[in-house]
Amino acid sequence: MNIREATLDDMIPMQNCNLHNLPENYQMKYYFYHSLTWPQLSYVAEDEKGRIIGYVLAKLEEDPTAEPHGHITSLSVMRTYRRLGVAEKLMTQSQNAMRDVFNCKFVSLHVRKSNRAALQLYRDTLQFTVQDIEKKYYADGEDAYACRKTLQ
Amino acid sequence: MRELPQKEANLFKQILKCYENKQYKKGFKGAEQILKKFPEHGETLALKGLFLNHLDKKEEAYEFVKKGLRHDLRSHVCWHVFGLLYRSDKNYEEALKCYSQALKIDKENLQILRDYSLLQVQTRNYEGFAETRHILLELRPQNRQFWIGLAIAYHMMGKPDLGIKVLTTYEETLKDVPAKPDYEHSEMLLYHNLMLEETGDFQAALDHLDTIEKHVCDRIALREKRARYLLALGRQEDAEKAYRGLVAHNPDNFAYFDGLRKSIGLGHDNLSAEEEAKLLELFKDLQKEYPRSNAAKRLPLRYATGDAFVKVADEYMRNNLRKGVPSLFVNMKTLYTNKEKAQAVEKLALGYLTALDKTKGFDNSGSTVEPPTALLWTLYFVAQHYDFKRESNEALTHINRAIEHTPTLVELYMTKGRILKHAGDYVQAMNVLNEARELDLQDRFINSKCSKYMLRADKMAEAEKTVVMFARADIADPLNDLVDMQAMWFILEAGESHLRQNHLGRALKRFHQVEKLFADFTEDQFDFHMYCLRKMTLRAYISLLKLEDQLRSHQYFVRAAQNAVQCYITLFDKPEGADSEEMEGMTEAEKKKFRSKQRKAELKAQKETEEKKAQAVQEITKKGGKVDEDPEGLKYTKTEDPLGEALKFLKPLQELAADRIETHLMGFELYIRKNKLLLALKSLLKSIKIDANNATLHEQLVRFALAVQKAGTSLKPAVKSVIDKHWDTLFQGKGKDLKAFTTGFLENSKTLGSVPHLISGAIAVSLIEPGTEKSKAEAEAIIFLIADDKYIGTRSLENVLVAQKTLKSLKSSRVQEFRTKAASWFPQATIFQS
Repeated sequence: MNIREATLDDMIPMQNCNLHNLPENYQMKYYFYHSLTWPQLSYVAEDEKGRIIGYVLAKLEEDPTAEPHGHITSLSVMRTYRRLGVAEKLMTQSQNAMRDVFNCKFVSLHVRKSNRAALQLYRDTLQFTVQDIEKKYYADGEDAYACRKTLQ
Repeated sequence: MRELPQKEANLFKQILKCYENKQYKKGFKGAEQILKKFPEHGETLALKGLFLNHLDKKEEAYEFVKKGLRHDLRSHVCWHVFGLLYRSDKNYEEALKCYSQALKIDKENLQILRDYSLLQVQTRNYEGFAETRHILLELRPQNRQFWIGLAIAYHMMGKPDLGIKVLTTYEETLKDVPAKPDYEHSEMLLYHNLMLEETGDFQAALDHLDTIEKHVCDRIALREKRARYLLALGRQEDAEKAYRGLVAHNPDNFAYFDGLRKSIGLGHDNLSAEEEAKLLELFKDLQKEYPRSNAAKRLPLRYATGDAFVKVADEYMRNNLRKGVPSLFVNMKTLYTNKEKAQAVEKLALGYLTALDKTKGFDNSGSTVEPPTALLWTLYFVAQHYDFKRESNEALTHINRAIEHTPTLVELYMTKGRILKHAGDYVQAMNVLNEARELDLQDRFINSKCSKYMLRADKMAEAEKTVVMFARADIADPLNDLVDMQAMWFILEAGESHLRQNHLGRALKRFHQVEKLFADFTEDQFDFHMYCLRKMTLRAYISLLKLEDQLRSHQYFVRAAQNAVQCYITLFDKPEGADSEEMEGMTEAEKKKFRSKQRKAELKAQKETEEKKAQAVQEITKKGGKVDEDPEGLKYTKTEDPLGEALKFLKPLQELAADRIETHLMGFELYIRKNKLLLALKSLLKSIKIDANNATLHEQLVRFALAVQKAGTSLKPAVKSVIDKHWDTLFQGKGKDLKAFTTGFLENSKTLGSVPHLISGAIAVSLIEPGTEKSKAEAEAIIFLIADDKYIGTRSLENVLVAQKTLKSLKSSRVQEFRTKAASWFPQATIFQS
């Protein structure tokens, strides 16, 4: 498993990975936007053949009212590549870049309330804490857990 | 702005602001107000048109913009507006013309110059782009963006040295460099360094890194660059230190390990025994240092050979099986290109299985008892191993044992489905995937895979029903939402399924959707030309430009294009109303009966789909979605010029996938049908250059010779002389004796044991002497050679299917005989069962 910074060339396979795995999908331009605004923050995992089997798509939240912090837009790993700690490794690299390149003090993300597996990953494995519940965060009306992790 | 009284002049300024702020309705009202008093004010008329365009009234928009221009041909505003209108319709050629008119009137208009340059870079006119950026810089030398824009222009023209000069000059004008690292400034410096690297002067690039170091935010880029330059400069020790630092930062990055390997002089292939031992020792140390790194454990498997390989593979496989890592086989499979390693892995895996059954350990030493799941994962591994070797029965036996062991594990069913798919039982494969899906309804991945298998089994209705299960409830047309979300895998699989079922219109519709998505990706870059100059993410921007230039070499596009060409060729060869495959060999009376039966079935099906469609339309319109006016894709099947449409798909491949032989084989198929012999010749020559031994190429060469023969004296002398000149290259000195050419081809390919070569040879034989019983019998005999054990290596399901189709097209009486043989080779394959 090769873990490396994502490049523009990775955006099509990243989108493909996302569409296979997750219900939240984005058009290519949004992937381009991430890679062209914060090229250091997104990472991919490749298998031996160089196929993208996991990714983290991340950004900087530049809300003028809050201090700058990282935000995970999307994270997923193909089911058949589980149990290798890929998600954790992707997150570690992305978080390091948030801290080192952009001086982020913390990183945030949202999880669907019904997605217990994801919540477990973020809370137990990746040490995020649930900060808040955002009512009707998702387009279909589902609530989201707003999670956070301090970067040091 | 053209003469208006004070009040209206102010209003005009306001509506310009409205346009900038995207307040189109308000702007439209303002324009109307001016036009009430001055109905012939050209610039206001033009602007009104522009507002209309944004209010979705395209036709009126053009009407008013043109009217405005007629009233004021000397206004740069009118021309600019016209350019913007064309630009919004992606008609870049016309837009460029308008801008250049506007610039003739107002040479120094910053806004127009800027817009003009965007179109130039979008259309890759880098010369023009550089010229415009130069003017902009001269007009506003204090503007950072204009400096950067010019540097990029030079860089993209292939003149990084000039780009460097521009940036250096700009950097010298900066009085106060930010004390703390500033992201935008840092990105600019790194871009400067990238251009230095591209000139190939690594020493200069390295020196430059030292000077910018304290201003750089992206420390990883800095360290990667330094390591790379040190290595290129032969400073091994320093490079080693740099790469060790990078490995510490990310011990799962292959490139870092690769750099480390090179920096200690072990980067080459064919390592000596001593070097190999040294390298393995290095990885052993790294594994101790980075116990959580997968890469440090996996990479040695690439480099180790012989007994050392067995040792590292043994340890690696045991650990992964113990942990239950589902991807172990896929991971090991890449080593199988090395036969010795493939055998070693097989021996290890089978050894584990025997031992686990006997002593619950991976070996018979009895020293350790493994967890019960070890047996499960070993069975899973062995099943995939046999599937890889296409030994379906062995594979099924093992996967069934695994399922018996743990009937709730989704992965096992996925593998069972894959085995069945490879064995040719698509429906059974789909059913197994559906069982897997039902085991975990929350997981979209298994849902996607299951949908894919449904499409492979050509069960379109089931696939469509399944794939939308993860659509949001508020979406009007979930199936179409997949297209909006650019789910290329689904569009392609659906198109290929339609193609298999000979639903050419529906298939083409899908392949054109892929084409449209790629056009959208090209379009997507437009906004980033400005954006990246502002954000200063210039290195990423350059990658974007390069990516876009290569975009259509992506396998998704290639797949769509190849399939679309196939569809159009079929449309050309068999226009509607022609005999279908099933009708071959029927008498006229039988054909008539068959047709009427078919028509009845069609009518019934049509009625059903229409009822269903009406229902769907109701559903969709209720939720506010758009209704598809042409679900059958008649627009495509009714084309007058299928070959011309096919060429549109082929063109990008000829440019971007010229190294693939399929591109030129397809090119031949189109040109020979258009009777363009020189272009057909060109395709053949390109194919020969890539792989002179390609199977299909032989058949095409024969067809080409026959076409030349048929053209005879009608061939223009100039054309004839070109063909003559290349004749020997094509036919390897066999002159015009096609028989001898084909005999030689079959003789030469005997040692290959290749089924495709047999098929191509058989087709050639039947073409050289068309319609005779003798040549037919000869062709049949060639195809039946497949039964020989020599051909077992390429006797794949796909190849055997093509062989059977070829027999059918020869109108052979031995098809049934062949099918019986095929069924014995592929007992699970439904297609050979009668």
